[in-house]
Amino acid sequence: MLSGTCIIDLADETASFCSRVLADLGARVIKIEKPGGDPSRNIGPFFEDAHQRLKSLSFLNNNINKLGITLNIENPEAREIFFRLLDNADVVVETYPPGYLKQIGLSYDTLKGVNPKIILASVTGFGQKGPKSKYKSCDPVASACGGQMYVCGAKSTQPLKAFGQPSYYAASLFAAVGILLALRKCKAEGSGTHLDLSLQESVAATLEHVMIRYFSDGAIPVRQGSRHWDNTFYIFPCKDGFMHMTLFQHWDTLVEWLDSEGMAADLKAPKWNDPQTRDAHFDHIVEILSRWTKTHTVAELFEVGQLMRFPWSPVLSPVEVTKSPQLKDRDFFAPLMDSVGDTVLPCPGSPYRFDHLFPPRHSSAPEAGQNNMDIYQKELGIPEEELGRLTALGAI
Amino acid sequence: MKDAILKDLRILDFTRVLAGPFATRILADFGAEVIKVQSEKTAQGAEANLSSYFSTWNRNKRSITLDMDSSEAKALIFRLVNISDVVVENFSPRVLHNWGLGYESLKAHNSKLIMLRMSAMGQTGPWKDYVTYGPTLHSLAGLTYLTSVSEKAPLGIGFAFSDLIAGLYGAIALLGALEYRDRTGRGQCIDLSQYEAICTTIGPTLMDVLANNTDPVPGGNDPDSVEAAPYGCYACSGLERWCVIAVFSERQWQAFCQVLGNPPWSRSEKFRSLTERAAHKAELDKLIQKWTRKREAPQAVALLQEAGVPAGVVQNAEDLAKDPQLRARSLFRKISHPQMDEFFTDTQPIRLSDPPDIPWKPAPLLGEDNTYVFGELLGLSDREIDDYITKGVIA
Repeated sequence: MLSGTCIIDLADETASFCSRVLADLGARVIKIEKPGGDPSRNIGPFFEDAHQRLKSLSFLNNNINKLGITLNIENPEAREIFFRLLDNADVVVETYPPGYLKQIGLSYDTLKGVNPKIILASVTGFGQKGPKSKYKSCDPVASACGGQMYVCGAKSTQPLKAFGQPSYYAASLFAAVGILLALRKCKAEGSGTHLDLSLQESVAATLEHVMIRYFSDGAIPVRQGSRHWDNTFYIFPCKDGFMHMTLFQHWDTLVEWLDSEGMAADLKAPKWNDPQTRDAHFDHIVEILSRWTKTHTVAELFEVGQLMRFPWSPVLSPVEVTKSPQLKDRDFFAPLMDSVGDTVLPCPGSPYRFDHLFPPRHSSAPEAGQNNMDIYQKELGIPEEELGRLTALGAI
Repeated sequence: MKDAILKDLRILDFTRVLAGPFATRILADFGAEVIKVQSEKTAQGAEANLSSYFSTWNRNKRSITLDMDSSEAKALIFRLVNISDVVVENFSPRVLHNWGLGYESLKAHNSKLIMLRMSAMGQTGPWKDYVTYGPTLHSLAGLTYLTSVSEKAPLGIGFAFSDLIAGLYGAIALLGALEYRDRTGRGQCIDLSQYEAICTTIGPTLMDVLANNTDPVPGGNDPDSVEAAPYGCYACSGLERWCVIAVFSERQWQAFCQVLGNPPWSRSEKFRSLTERAAHKAELDKLIQKWTRKREAPQAVALLQEAGVPAGVVQNAEDLAKDPQLRARSLFRKISHPQMDEFFTDTQPIRLSDPPDIPWKPAPLLGEDNTYVFGELLGLSDREIDDYITKGVIA
């Protein structure tokens, strides 16, 4: 899809997934790490490989299909090498604090001086500009400032951060869209673009109903457990787990189903046919329904429910997710191949299948500096003794 | 004025709430001509043109009306496909099949057509016809289970995050396929699974299960992949006011203690290293909350950030609307609409250094562009259009 596009990845864990998405589509991505390896290799969870080395699974997940070299871009001699890499590149992705690249002599203007078509995608906590641009961030800070936490959790709990690092994924995807747009712009106009992405805005722009309700009727959405903001969904207990269900679709069918098992209680009364009445007496309906769901297993309700077009789903644990027959059937977990072709680990693939992307790419994340020789010696033609000198200097 | 990046791109858009409309909104914001296919029958609820929900997700698009159950609508669709670059839809797989609008039949009318199908589960697999919404996709992906304080009471995410993530992937897939078409002259059909899209956001956790046979459980606001302490959400002065604090390094811990005025407890043996602090987390959090409770959240956060400690106010919708950082960057802007009150909406978080200055259009009225699309683009006469309206095809 993107063959012929070359991306230099200077990003840490906040946006390394961005160039992975583009690498999955066929772009050539060169990850540059500091000599010794990127600190994001120390982020868990870990896996012990055949040589008893601990490997970061988040690093693996975010860096598959990339090439890896080491270069200390703060070193003046290394900078010359960086400029040579830049010559053949289309995109640089970076996550340094605003102003840092300029400080070490790599401002966007300087990069453009080397390659006028270069696209620079900068992903930071709060963006390149604005009164808080120097503020430090991380996923919880982005989730809090971006408005995610305030609407997650129950009344009885604190505001809850969505599990994992959702802000990093959202920002990485926005950045990937931005890069693809900037590539088209560059083709038409011949010049590069500086993209300014912020974790905070990436969260604030993915809140679905939250800002719409505030701007349209002044409502401030709050956290209310598993009860969806418009009461359309709620989580019910079953014999062996939990079921995410709605009380608004196919009501007649649902009441018939309960009634056939003698558990409809008063729900057969015609007044409940009105969705607004159900909405106003949400707790009552939840109580009756819960009595019924507790007599069933999750699998029963999922299978029969979906056959009857109820948009219900079980609340799956990650272990159950990895066993999902749907994900298995579509080979979503792709075995990663390391450099010698041994299968390494299964890793989540891309969420799409193209007619023309053969074969899907599944090479494991590079070791730090794995491709130094290929790129420095074979591609840039730097002689071996020079490489030795640069390595001794700490540049490579 | 610079041209919009996607000015020559025409998209025929069958998508409905919300993954699909979000994908096509991104492309519309950057200048693609997105023609949304609606009808009186389908423009209900969240798809009603005058709802604030619809107007948020469908700005910069055009609207035509066609009753897709009428056989004559199909012929018009084929003519539209002939002059479009892209078709997008997010129905269950069987809907387009039932209309006789599979990729092969559309391709017969446009050999370079790019088609993006973004159903919940993808076009294949045992669950391909399953019905889902954002919240239930979170549940199927493990995100609801993990976003909680106990596996005995799953809570999950209070909004349809997965629709937005799937929409972003949709935009990426289309732009990628466009690059490919430019280079090779070939279109293609893309099969996107919204389920897989949301699963990618917990990739490392799923790898952990597969590689190590672990069984991750929900841990509230505790760190799940990094070592940090203090780390979490702390109550501040006032009703429902909170802040988050995340201290990763020794340097940040020192700065943190200084902001708090170096209280004697901060020098206690129990808190002397990151490992010790993490081991005594409950006690540490209580002490910190004594400090945050006495302060307004923005004040506590400003003090910590000025000292270089990552911290943030847990902001609600009103806070976001008034946030000086978001204001300085104009994340929200006003749009006026011919039949609705002026309203604010979020702009693009994708910021270009020299953005094209294109005026934004409010979301279309139902069938607003029938004359333009059927008349100007397809060349139908006024009488032909009237005939179609009388017959209920354009409806």
